[in-house]
Amino acid sequence: MKTRSPLSIAALFLLLSTFSCTNSPLREIPDEVVGLAPVYAADGEWDDISSEGPRAIEQLNKIYYKDSLIFVGEANQGVHIVDNHDPANPERIGFIALPGNSDIAIKGDVLYANNLTDLVAIDISNLDEVTVLSRVSDAFPNAGQEVPANYIGYFECPDPELGSVIGWVETTLKKPQCWQE
Amino acid sequence: MKPITPLLVSLALFVGLFGCAADSDSAAPGSSTGVGGSLARFTILGDFLYTVDNTRLVTFDISDPLAPEQVSAINVTLGVETIFPLKDHLLLGTQRGMFIYRVGPDGQPLYVSNYQHVVSCDPVVANDTFAYVTLRVSECRDAGVGAANTLDVIDIRNIESPQLVNQLPMDGPYGLGLDGELLFVCLGVNGLQVFTLEDPSTPVELKRFEGINAVDVIPLEGTLLVVGPEALLQLDYSDMDDIKVISEMSIGS
Repeated sequence: MKTRSPLSIAALFLLLSTFSCTNSPLREIPDEVVGLAPVYAADGEWDDISSEGPRAIEQLNKIYYKDSLIFVGEANQGVHIVDNHDPANPERIGFIALPGNSDIAIKGDVLYANNLTDLVAIDISNLDEVTVLSRVSDAFPNAGQEVPANYIGYFECPDPELGSVIGWVETTLKKPQCWQE
Repeated sequence: MKPITPLLVSLALFVGLFGCAADSDSAAPGSSTGVGGSLARFTILGDFLYTVDNTRLVTFDISDPLAPEQVSAINVTLGVETIFPLKDHLLLGTQRGMFIYRVGPDGQPLYVSNYQHVVSCDPVVANDTFAYVTLRVSECRDAGVGAANTLDVIDIRNIESPQLVNQLPMDGPYGLGLDGELLFVCLGVNGLQVFTLEDPSTPVELKRFEGINAVDVIPLEGTLLVVGPEALLQLDYSDMDDIKVISEMSIGS
């Protein structure tokens, strides 16, 4: 049986005292709010970007449209590609695995995206085999910290049992228990 | 030759005003950009990518995709949530109001003005004359005392001095989209509201869809993409008197 060690209790207290409602104990936790969620190292190689086959949408994020294709964000994981030449019958045709992604923009055949803390430029001229053209490291410092640095707002409390935090991604949080002011 | 001069002047003015917008059309394949929703945090104008992250507006030179370069990072205010491109301007939705920047020839954004309101959550869309901002307090962090759920209409004809001209009460609005005389406003679990803008300062409700969980929209000349936590819906609005759902892609399918 797993028991809470004094260390983890101390860590919990530290966490609570640092991020919780010490300043405003009457704060009302919102049911749902946009904030940051941790991404854990246990999730695997976070800078692996590749084309994959179509898959089911699990957590719909933002959408982006270009040339009859809809790019549908799968929160933290990547982007679904939907062929929308016939809007009455949209068809998922592929998936770009893009760990820690929240936003994209496309110019020509180049998709710009955040890959956790980095900005990446991805050649999407062949959707079956996308290639990373370049990478700007640490372009988004709010990601990739133990706590979101210089961030004011709600975030999902990190769970040490899930691994070390390698980044933060924006998502919709349900009743978040951590915040910074 | 007298009549030609004003024509040339207006032509030059037209090119000057709208030259940037041409980049975002599909006229030039290979260099054209796509279109995001009102909750987007990335946008591209010409050779520059603009991103917002919580407090900052960051500019990247992407003239060479093999070597993008961060050229500036501006502290805007707390709670910067969205970015909307309007020709050579950037309209930022923040929790304190709408902040307007003008992009100079070197791609650098310069502060122009802002429209402040009590703290709430507020994406923005705009055309040449008016900006439409939704303010939401429900499920919005740090919403201020006196904040309300509204659709604000802001006159931006003088972009140096945006003026609130109308304010409509709403049911917890989220993202919104604008196409000509139609304005689409997402209401989360409360559905999707469609307004006509015959008088652009006075949106009039045309239709309301219940039973849709709508968070953001992208209008595409007759087809509306509607995204929410449960599905990606498409609506045909080519006939504004008969707007209807034409497809639905659900979670898990």
